[in-house]
Amino acid sequence: MQISTAQPVFKLELNHKVTPGVVIIAKYDGTHPCLTASAGYDKIIIHHPHGLVGGRAQRSEAHAEVSELNLSQAVKALAAGPLKDDCTRDMLLIGSPTQILAYDVHENTDLFFKELPDGVNVINTGRVGKSSEMLAVVGGNSSVIGLNGKGEEIFWNVVSGRVVAVSVFDFDKDGENELLIGCEDSFIRVMKNNQFIVELPETGSVLCLSPISDVRFAYGLANGTIGVYEEGIRLWRVKSKQNAVSLHSSGEWLACCWTNGRVDWRDGTGRVVRRVQLRSNSAGMLLADYRSLGVPDLVCVSNRGEVLGYPPHQERSGFNITKKYASEEDRLAITELMNKKQALLVELQHYEANAAVDNSNADLGHSQPSAMPTNTRLQVAVTTDCHEGCIQLAISTNNETIVRAALILAEGVFETGETLARHPSHGQLRSILFIPLRPPRDVPIDVHIKALIGYPDSEQFHIFELTKHLPRFAMYKLIDATIQKPKIEGNVTFHITERVQRIYIWINQNFLLEQDIEIVNEESKDINLNFKSLRDKSNLQMNFSVDGQVKLKTNDIRLAGDLIQSLATFLNLTNLQVCYFFLQFQL
Amino acid sequence: MEYDLSRIDYTLCGITYPETLKVLQSVNEKVQQKFVVGDKNGVLQCLGIKDEEPVVQFKTLPSKSITSVIVHSSSSGTNDDKIYVASGNEVKGYTRKGKVFLTVETLVSEVITSMWIIGNDLILCSGRTVTYCKDLNQLTSFMCEDRVLDVAAFMTANSTRIRLLLLIANKGAAIVENGKFITRVYMNSGPSRLAVPQSQRPTEICAFYGAADGSIGLILYHDSNLISKCLVDGQGLGSVVCVGWFRNYRGTHLVVGRHDGSIQLYLTNLENYEEKLQLKYTYFCGEPITSVCGGFIGSDEPEILASTFSGRIFGLRPRSLQSAAVVNVPADALASRRAKLENEITRLEKQTANERDKYQKSTRSLQTGLSMPPLLDIQHELTGANKNGWIEARITSAMPLDMLFIYCNNKLVIQTDTAAVLSLCPPQDQESDLLATIRCQAGTRRLWLGLRNIETILLESTKVLVYVLPAGAPRVARLIKFNLAILPYYCKHEEIDVNESERCLCELRVLGTFSVVEVTSWLNEALPGELPKPASYVNFVRSHTLMGTYLFCQYQRGSAIFKSDNISTIADLKDIISNLTIKKGLKVDITYDIPDNCCALAFENLTNEFQIQYKWKNESKLKNCLSALDLDTNLINSEGKLQLCTDYLRVWELPENLNETCFDQLTSEIEKWYTNWKKLSHGQPDSQILAELHESLENGRIEEVKNILTLH
Repeated sequence: MQISTAQPVFKLELNHKVTPGVVIIAKYDGTHPCLTASAGYDKIIIHHPHGLVGGRAQRSEAHAEVSELNLSQAVKALAAGPLKDDCTRDMLLIGSPTQILAYDVHENTDLFFKELPDGVNVINTGRVGKSSEMLAVVGGNSSVIGLNGKGEEIFWNVVSGRVVAVSVFDFDKDGENELLIGCEDSFIRVMKNNQFIVELPETGSVLCLSPISDVRFAYGLANGTIGVYEEGIRLWRVKSKQNAVSLHSSGEWLACCWTNGRVDWRDGTGRVVRRVQLRSNSAGMLLADYRSLGVPDLVCVSNRGEVLGYPPHQERSGFNITKKYASEEDRLAITELMNKKQALLVELQHYEANAAVDNSNADLGHSQPSAMPTNTRLQVAVTTDCHEGCIQLAISTNNETIVRAALILAEGVFETGETLARHPSHGQLRSILFIPLRPPRDVPIDVHIKALIGYPDSEQFHIFELTKHLPRFAMYKLIDATIQKPKIEGNVTFHITERVQRIYIWINQNFLLEQDIEIVNEESKDINLNFKSLRDKSNLQMNFSVDGQVKLKTNDIRLAGDLIQSLATFLNLTNLQVCYFFLQFQL
Repeated sequence: MEYDLSRIDYTLCGITYPETLKVLQSVNEKVQQKFVVGDKNGVLQCLGIKDEEPVVQFKTLPSKSITSVIVHSSSSGTNDDKIYVASGNEVKGYTRKGKVFLTVETLVSEVITSMWIIGNDLILCSGRTVTYCKDLNQLTSFMCEDRVLDVAAFMTANSTRIRLLLLIANKGAAIVENGKFITRVYMNSGPSRLAVPQSQRPTEICAFYGAADGSIGLILYHDSNLISKCLVDGQGLGSVVCVGWFRNYRGTHLVVGRHDGSIQLYLTNLENYEEKLQLKYTYFCGEPITSVCGGFIGSDEPEILASTFSGRIFGLRPRSLQSAAVVNVPADALASRRAKLENEITRLEKQTANERDKYQKSTRSLQTGLSMPPLLDIQHELTGANKNGWIEARITSAMPLDMLFIYCNNKLVIQTDTAAVLSLCPPQDQESDLLATIRCQAGTRRLWLGLRNIETILLESTKVLVYVLPAGAPRVARLIKFNLAILPYYCKHEEIDVNESERCLCELRVLGTFSVVEVTSWLNEALPGELPKPASYVNFVRSHTLMGTYLFCQYQRGSAIFKSDNISTIADLKDIISNLTIKKGLKVDITYDIPDNCCALAFENLTNEFQIQYKWKNESKLKNCLSALDLDTNLINSEGKLQLCTDYLRVWELPENLNETCFDQLTSEIEKWYTNWKKLSHGQPDSQILAELHESLENGRIEEVKNILTLH
C-alpha cells in the first residue's frame, strides 16, 4: 500500500500554546477569517493577519498579528456564528464552566451573557428545524440548550449522559436540520423538533461529530475509533491507538487529525492515502479559506501553536502536481499490482501443496504439524447460562480435531480491551469450547469469532472465522412463569394498537430464545412472558393483552426505558403515553 | 536531487535468504548489467531488464534452498563471470549462460551461509566450520568457537598466503591464516556482515561491517593489530541484514539493508575510510531487506537493486530519471507492462477462485481427505533483556499479518509496535495467565513484542506461545514458542579470563554424574540466547546488561563451576539447578562459596552507574513537576518575563524519555543482594536492616549503603 505525504501550502507560528479542542476560525468583520483559540486557562488568542482587532483584546507580545483576550474564568469551549440579526459578522461565543458569553469582537460589545447551571461542554452554531434563526447550541452535563442571538432559550431537552459533541446536520434529508448529539454514554442521538428520533449505539464515549456531505457524517470516539455514517448506516470504521481531535472532509477524502499530531486522509473505505505528522501534539483542525482564495484549506493547529494549511485533495491533480511524472503513476500501479500478484501466488501455492498431499498419503494424520481433515466444520451455538450469569458461546468441531484457542472480537463488551480469548490447558483440549460473554449494557452486539482448530500437538492451526449477532436483550433468559410468580413492584403501562404477530416478531428479534415463540392458539391472544436477568437474577415480566394494553414489570427503570424505546422504534411509533411506577421515584 | 530516489518493481521470486542477489558485470560495450537471484525454492534466475520488463537469461529448476550467492569476475578481463550458488552443504558453479561447471559438496551437514572467492580458491562458511576449497577441488576445513557469520579473504604482500577475516557470532572478528588464528578483536555490537571496499592496495585488510545492533563500522588490520571502529551508531536502527556498494558520480556509497525494512545510503570517503559516514538517503519498504547492490540495471544510470524477505525485487532510481523518455524506454512500454500485469492478475484471480472452490468442495464432501497446508514462512528471534528488563521478540512474516494471539501461563508485562493495537484479555478461570491479542495495521509484515517478567522468583523459564494469524489466505495460524530465560539480563558475551578478573567472586560448584548436555539444558532455562555446543570442556562468560556483573561458566562431565560477583545470580542458579535435578531424579552435590564482603565490593563497582541513575531519577522527577506547571515555551524564551534557574532550565529542556531511568530495578537488585546473602549464609534477613538499606538507596546515600552491605 502506498501512503504518500503532503506539503503544506502555508505555515505560521502563533507563539502561544493552544488548548486542544478549543480552536475555531471566525470572520469577525464578515470577510476575513481569524484563527481563535484558547491559550491556557483563561486566555483567548485571536490571530488577525488581515487587520487589527481592537477593543478589549490586547496586542500580544509574542506575536504581532495576535491579540489576547483575558477572561476571569476558564475557557471550556469556543464557537462563532452570525448570531446577530441582519448581520453577517461572526459573533464569538465563549463557554466557561457554567456561563456563556456572546461577544461581538468587531464592535467590542457583549451580545448576551447567560448563566447555564447545567454546565457548558461544547458549543456549536447553526440553523435547526424550520426556524431560519441562527442558534447557538450548547451541550451541558445532561442537557442541550438552543439560544438565539438575544440569549433567549429556544429549546431545551434532557439527554442521558454528558453531551460532548454537537453538530447541526440534515439527518433525514427533509430539508431541515436536525441536531446530532454525541454523548459520553456511547450514543449518538438525533434530535428533531425537540424529540429524539434516532439513537445510534456506539462502542465508546463520543468525542467529535462532523458532517462531511449532505448525507454523511463522521464520528470519533474516545476508544480511538473513527467512522462514517450514511443515513443511519455505518459505512466503515477503523480503530487506532490515538483519539481523533477533529474530522473534516477534504475533497472526496476524509481528513482526520489525531491527538499525537498525526493527520491522515482516508478514502471512501477508511483506507489511509496521505499522512503528515505535526511537530507536536495537535490541538485542532479546521476547514477555512485562510488564504482568501475562494476554496477552504485544511488548517491544522498543534498545541505549541504551529499552524499548517493543506489544500483540499482533488483526484486528478493530487497534492504534488509539479513533482509528479507521467510514468510514476504507472510504476506505483505496478508496485500495487505486484502486491496483489504476490498474495495470489501464496494462496495458490497453498492449494497446490494441499492437492499434493491428497494424492500422496492421507493416513499420516496426527503426526503432521499442520494437518486437519478437510471436512472439518465449526459449529457455534449461543445459550443463556443462568447459573454462571452469562451467555455461553459454544464452539465445536464435528470430528476428533480440537479447538486449540478461540478469540472473540467485539467492542464495548470487555472491560480490558477489544478481545476475549480462551486457551485451554493441554489436558483440557476438547472438540468443544465454551466461552462466557457478559455484555455490560443492552445493545445489539456483533461478535466476531476466530477459532484455531487442529490437533493438540499441531504447529499450525486452521482459522475458522464467523460472526454471530447477539440481540439487544440477550442477557434476559425466558423462564417458565408457571413455576414461580415473582412479585415485582416497578412497572410501566402503555397502550399500543398493533397486531400480536408483530409483537412476537419483536420479541424473537430482540431476545435470545432457544426457539422462536409463536401464537399457541387463536383464543388466548394475551402474551405473558417472564424473563430473568443474567446479570443480577432480577425478574422481568411482559404482558401484552389483547386489547393493546402493555404492562412491563421490572424494578430497573433503565431496562424499562430501553424496552419501550426498542419496541417503539420497531413499531414506528413517534408518540407514546406511558404510566410508570417505580419505588425509588415515589416521594 | 541525486538522492531523491523512487521505487521501480521488477519482479517476484520465492522467499530469499540474506545476500542471495548479486549483479553481474556488463558484457561488451553494453552498459546495462544483469543480475542473479536465488530463492528458498532453490530456483536460480539470471535476469536482465529491458524496457523495465525482466527478461530471463536462464532459470534453474527448484531444488534445495539457496542460501548464498556470489559472483566472481574472471581476472583475465574477458567478462566471463562465474556464479557460485550455495544450497545446503553444496556449492554449484554456473557460467553466465547457466551451464553448471562445478559441483562441490562439503563434509559438514550445516548450511553454507556465506562464501568468498579469491583467485581460484573458494571459502565457505557453514555453521562453525570454515571450509577452504583450494583450486576448487582440494578441501580443508577448520572449526571456530561459534557460528561464522561472514568471511573476506585478502592476499598477503610478497607471498602466496591468504589471510581470512572472519566474523564470528558473539566473539567479534578474527584474522586466520592457514587455519590458525593470528589475532582477534572483540566487538559487542554483534557484527554480522562485511563489505570490502575496492582498494588500490589489495593486501590491505580493511572492511566495513554492519552489526546486529544497527551500527556500522570499520575493521582494520594494521601493524599486526586488528582494530574496529564504529562509524554510525546503531541507536534505534534495525539490525543490518546485508551490505553492498553503490557508485554514482557523487562517489562510492555503502548501502545497508536492514531488518526493519529500511535501505540506507551512506557516502564513504575512499581516501580515508575512518571518516564518519554521511547518511544520504533512507527508503522504507516494510519488510526485511535481504540483499542490496548497486549497478546499471534498468537504464544507463546507476541505481540500487534490492530484494526482500518475501521475494520482491525492486530498484531505487533517481526520481529525475523517472520519466520514461529520459531513460530511453518506449512511451507505451510502461502502460503495456501495467496492462500485462493486470491481465495476469485476472488470470491468477480466476485460477485462485477455481482452486478455492475445489478446496471448499472438499470440505463439504463426506469422504474425508486431509488438509495439510505448508507451514507459513515466519522467522522469529528473541533477544536478551535490555537495561530496563525488556526482552524483545521479533517476528517476520512473508505475508501480511492480521493478528497475533499471545498466551503465557505467567503474568507478563507486554508492549508492542505503536502501529499495532494491543488488547489484554480478561484472564480465564481466575488463573494467573496472560492472554493478549495484537491487531496489526494493514500490510504489517514484521512486528516486535516487548516482554517482561513480573514475578521475580522463578524456577523455570517462562514459555510464551504466540499464534500468528496472517491477513489473507491460507487461513492458518502458526504457533511460535518463545522461552524467556530466568536470568534474561545475562545476554552480553564477554571475553575475560576468570583469573584475570579483579572482582570478588562468589562460586557455585556442582558435582555428580551428569553430562555436559545436561548442564547445557540447565543453562538453557537460565540464560538467554544460544549456548556453546556441548564439548568435552565448555567455558564462557556473560555479563549483566544492567548491573555489569559477570557470570563465568565452566563445565565438563561430572563437574560444573559457576562464578559471579553478583550474589543473587549464584543464589538463583543454585535454586534453578537443584530444582531441575530434583525433578529429573539426578543426584548432585551442590556447594557454594560466598566471600564475606562480596556485596560491598560489587556495589563498589556499581557506584558510578548507581550515581548516574540516581541523578536521572531525580531529574525525571523534577521534569515531571516542571511540566505539570504547564509553563509556556514562548514566555520563557522571550526575555525577562519568566525565569528559571539554569539548572531547572536545562532539565526542563531535556527531551522526553531521554534518560529513561532504571533506578528502581537497580535498587531492587541491590536489596536482593542483601536477602540472598543472608539466605546463603543461613541467616534470616533482618527487616529493619532491609528497610534501612531501602531508605539509603532511595536517597542515594552511597556511604550508608556501603556500610550496611559491609557490616551485615
